[in-house]
Amino acid sequence: MSKKRKFIFSMVRGLTAILIALLVAALLIFISAEGPGFAEKLSQTGDAMKRLLIGPIIKSNGSFSVKNFTDVLAAMIPIIFTGLATCVMFSANQFNLGAEGGIMLGAFVTAVVAIYVPLPPVALPIVAIIIGAAAVAIVMLIPAALKARLGVSEMVNSLMLNYVIMYFIKYMLSSHLADTSKGAIMTYDFQAHAALPQLINNGSKLSWGFVAAIIFVVIITLFMYRTRWGYAIRMIGVNKDFAMYSGMKVAGVIIMSQVIGGFLAGMGGGIEMLGRYTNFTWTELPGYGWTGITVAILAGNNPAFVPLAAFFMSYLNKGCSLMSTYCGVPAQLIDILQAVIFVFFAAEQFLSGYRQKLVIKSTQEELKLQAEREAQHNAEAEVK
Amino acid sequence: MLDLIFSTDFFFAVLRITAPILFATLGAVVGEKAGVSNIGLEGTMMISALFGSLVSYWTGSWMLGVLVAVLLGIITSLLMGFFAFILKTDIILTGIAVNMIGSGGTLFLVKVITNITEGKALASTTSLVTTANQIPAWNIPLIKDIPVLGDILSGHCVLTYVAFLMVFITWALLYKTPLGLNIRSVGENPDAASSVGVSVLKVKYIAIGFSGAMAGLGGAFMSMYYAMGWSLDMVAGRGFIALAAQAMGAGEPVGGMISALIFGFAQALSIKVSSKGIDSNLVTPIPYVVTILGLVVFALVVRRRIKKQHSAEALKAETK
Repeated sequence: MSKKRKFIFSMVRGLTAILIALLVAALLIFISAEGPGFAEKLSQTGDAMKRLLIGPIIKSNGSFSVKNFTDVLAAMIPIIFTGLATCVMFSANQFNLGAEGGIMLGAFVTAVVAIYVPLPPVALPIVAIIIGAAAVAIVMLIPAALKARLGVSEMVNSLMLNYVIMYFIKYMLSSHLADTSKGAIMTYDFQAHAALPQLINNGSKLSWGFVAAIIFVVIITLFMYRTRWGYAIRMIGVNKDFAMYSGMKVAGVIIMSQVIGGFLAGMGGGIEMLGRYTNFTWTELPGYGWTGITVAILAGNNPAFVPLAAFFMSYLNKGCSLMSTYCGVPAQLIDILQAVIFVFFAAEQFLSGYRQKLVIKSTQEELKLQAEREAQHNAEAEVK
Repeated sequence: MLDLIFSTDFFFAVLRITAPILFATLGAVVGEKAGVSNIGLEGTMMISALFGSLVSYWTGSWMLGVLVAVLLGIITSLLMGFFAFILKTDIILTGIAVNMIGSGGTLFLVKVITNITEGKALASTTSLVTTANQIPAWNIPLIKDIPVLGDILSGHCVLTYVAFLMVFITWALLYKTPLGLNIRSVGENPDAASSVGVSVLKVKYIAIGFSGAMAGLGGAFMSMYYAMGWSLDMVAGRGFIALAAQAMGAGEPVGGMISALIFGFAQALSIKVSSKGIDSNLVTPIPYVVTILGLVVFALVVRRRIKKQHSAEALKAETK
């Protein structure tokens, strides 16, 4: 199949998946709509869908909403990082689901450094974020090494670690690090110069972290497609045995992929923390890890597409929260939407009939072209 | 410390806590036997827990609640099967999707449903499950009069007994029925199974459906007895722990039961310890840590056994 046809196919496939998800959403909104008649429910559903689809960029008076749009961009930052982390780990066929705990731990460690370590401006946020990222990278050594050395499922271990990390942080928050002068469970404020500078000061919290996220997209893309380590990761993901027999150190690469994944998730947490908050208050897993998995699947595990996928998820998320504010539809609709889009995107055989048709069409065209060429050739020979 | 553990109510608690994990573990065991890794157990339990509690509240019948929970477990897992077997989505990703729905999606559903039926959007169903529509406890005649043993074994929720009974039923299903043979053969070598006329697809659907039914029972137990109502993320990783228990139990029903009991023990201990005034955040993660340690120990034991086997074989070859 030609490149163009392949592109058209993947576009049609993606759009169909999104359309199905939106239909499911519309159906659920319709069911949840309050109103006596069919027509009223329908108009309510229409309103809610409009909020969901164009709310994140258009105000109710029809003009472009800068604030909503920057909100969407700002919310991309953590899920770009967890998306990248998942891309790297899934590329090596390592189903490590620890990005969720990773981003929380990264945020926490960064917060602690930002509160207590006396460092000059500029150096403080950078050092804090790097220490946070490194801490998560070290923790990810646990599932990674256990998988590589003993063959223990990295999936189960990383899931268990998520809970251990969450309770560890809750313990530290409620005991040693608590700022008891405040009513809620939280730490002391970060040192003022730990905050990441904002790109736009409109309350969206769109910090320089966004630029950092894009830079890391470029770095990880280059790493995965332009270095031998990236090649090794992808090759092990495609065929572990082949990689082993061609002399790659499989165990080392399996560990490396998860350590890098942990580093990225931790960095996302640190940047989110210093870019958005002034103290640490998370007492639950933030959910960015799961969204990151969706992002990675939408991007086809290709880091270059992560920003696009992250934008899409962030846009939908904003749409859902607007919908819940103005139309009374619970914001958790996003989780159902996400799951539906997710399974259809990951479904290899989804629309396979259509792909088959395209393949047949391509082949027929090629055969026709070949026949024409041969006919021409024969005609030329006859003339001679 | 010891008198804390060796009390009848402690062992009673161990059995009570083990039951939902055991259900999910048996689901994981049968799934894995057919080569189907159902990591959506967690989400399936959440979905079943929600609807089980709602239906028992609406109808006032706990049996209907359990029935609906089981049916929803089966439907959810068959849907997973459809995506995994027919549309060729990676089974692990399908499981993750089910878990997404099980987490935030169920909160959406409970808000929407209660808004229609109760007139206000509830974020949990804890106010709906009462002693009137919970799964009843059962005092076993005769056994309940035995000192110590009676206090531990009698008076449990009906489903607790079902859970331990299911260990035997699952074992019998796997090893004493033609279906069990098919399930095992499909898991071990689907091509060979299909060459002798076993419908691999059908067997896989049955296996994942069974695991869904088990998750449904586990979910019903959680919301209609253990926690008395559904609330967000109430299953709290039990579906994942079940996956670990399956692995630690070498994929066998009885082994899985023993592993599930270990987790039940760990969690009962953590509850006991936290009641002594130790920060619950320190002791709640104990079962998760035990899971990781358990998996490591299990992997080490298996490795040593394989090594021993190898050296024994090598010795045999030499003496020949």
